[in-house]
Amino acid sequence: MALLELRRVTMRFGGLTSVSDLDLDVDPGQVVALIGPNGAGKTTAFNVVTGVYAPTEGSIRFAGREIAGRRPHEISRLGVARTFQNIRLFRGLTAAENVRVALAAAKRSGLFDVLRPGSWRRQETTLCAEAVGLLERLGLSHVADTAAGSLPYGDQRLLEIARALATRPRLLLLDEPAAGMNPSEKQDLGALVARLRAEFGLAIVLIEHDVRFVMDLAERVSVLDHGEKIAEGPPEAVRRDPAVIEAYLGAPDAGGAPA
Amino acid sequence: MSSKRVAAFALVAIVLLALDAWLPSWLNPYYATIVTRIGIAVVAAVSLQLVNGFTGQFSIGHAGFMAVGAYTSAAFSVYVGAGWLESLLGLLPAPLARSLFYPLVLASGGLAAAVAGFVVGIPALRLRGDYLAIATLGFAEVIRIAILNVDAVGGARGFSIHAAEHPAADLRFEGFGAVYAVVVVTIVVVARLVYSSGGLSFRAVREDEVAATSIGIATTRIKVEAFVVASFFAGVAGALFAHSEGYVHTNSFAFLRSFEIVVFVVLGGLGSITGAVLAAAVLTAAPELLRGLGEWRMVLYSLLLIGTMLLRPQGLLGNREIDLGWLRKRFG
Repeated sequence: MALLELRRVTMRFGGLTSVSDLDLDVDPGQVVALIGPNGAGKTTAFNVVTGVYAPTEGSIRFAGREIAGRRPHEISRLGVARTFQNIRLFRGLTAAENVRVALAAAKRSGLFDVLRPGSWRRQETTLCAEAVGLLERLGLSHVADTAAGSLPYGDQRLLEIARALATRPRLLLLDEPAAGMNPSEKQDLGALVARLRAEFGLAIVLIEHDVRFVMDLAERVSVLDHGEKIAEGPPEAVRRDPAVIEAYLGAPDAGGAPA
Repeated sequence: MSSKRVAAFALVAIVLLALDAWLPSWLNPYYATIVTRIGIAVVAAVSLQLVNGFTGQFSIGHAGFMAVGAYTSAAFSVYVGAGWLESLLGLLPAPLARSLFYPLVLASGGLAAAVAGFVVGIPALRLRGDYLAIATLGFAEVIRIAILNVDAVGGARGFSIHAAEHPAADLRFEGFGAVYAVVVVTIVVVARLVYSSGGLSFRAVREDEVAATSIGIATTRIKVEAFVVASFFAGVAGALFAHSEGYVHTNSFAFLRSFEIVVFVVLGGLGSITGAVLAAAVLTAAPELLRGLGEWRMVLYSLLLIGTMLLRPQGLLGNREIDLGWLRKRFG
């Protein structure tokens, strides 16, 4: 059974249909890439899955449970984590605190746990150790005590992934994780994504513009254009699909100037 | 509990007892009043810091919750507590009877304010920024005007904390013990809340709400929690104020009072507990110490505020704390 199942999901904002009749399946442990030109509805699809928007129509099932229209923090607690296209870290907190707050939120320690003397201290020690461990796995331990807002761009992207992992997700949504990275950083990121999937047994959906980056990484590629899925399949097949080439480059015989 | 903690508790208790027993006899009543008011200002400022500084919500109605606490505790003392205190005084030595009685009074004020904070917080905290500020300000005024029209607590005449039918029970708080015990508890609780992993949620909400929900933080819940805790301590501060003065009037909780507390928080540095303590202490003492200047007093006070904001726009301490780590770095 698929871990994530979108059926005929439609998201309209007034007269604008941003995502239209989208079907998408992600199996446990699978890496799926979502590609498409600007404005194709990729990020909106993420926002609908994570509860930022409630879909206008359609059903979204995660691990067999209907999650369409549930609130973002509830969906996160079910095991869906994400990163953002325009990095959203807690800039005033240190890297370690960014991870720690997510670990604590996943444990759902309440207001009154904090005021209980013994268990509080024990929990603090465990959480700090876990945070350091996670940062280490992403190669960020040297910046643990640096304010997130003053980290270099690449580290900020990694830290966002670390924070997402801290919620112990089963599905990770990465919104353009390679944006703004140079080729060697991209290569490292690709290796990291493959490793995360193996180590954490994660299913990963990633949005990406760089088709080459996606080719080696994803088992399956779904292509969106104007909110509709125009192609889906193994990377190589999708790459040769005429509909995809048209979406990206325009039709060869369209006559008018390409947009 | 470790021996270190026991020692810390003992030290705090001894200091408080010393303050309580020795300082009032040595200080003249005028300075004693200032010392008490500093303590109350610190409690109000540190509790508001939780909402404004750490959770990033801009509330400017803190005096409203102080009023709820002040009047509820005063009514409790006069109508219920006086009889209890009288019987307690008959059974136990006076200091013991009072130290059993005071927490009840403070709790009545704190709990009433916490309930008010919950009721106001749930709708108000869905608003952001300016809108939240106006809603909290409006609420504080509503509370004040409402109390002004309740005859049981004196209405416009104010309310004297004195029960005629229980002459033996002096309901006024004396000494600094109660005030500074509350100061210590407030600082410890707020520090615990915001500097633990669970409490990082408060600052996460301040930094980025969308990201906070994406990692499973229920942001509205966190805001309401901060608001309720802050209201509780504001209510306790109000109860302290009422019982150290022996008389309450709604004028003490007008919007200028709310504003004053916001000034403590901003001037001390948003996101700094020790900053709030420092600013509350200095700015409560300053108008009194400047009294020699006659009518120039408030001019100088204002200049002090303007100057600080020009030189330290991030507040006296920014978002740093003067804690053990800081002291070690400076002097260790």
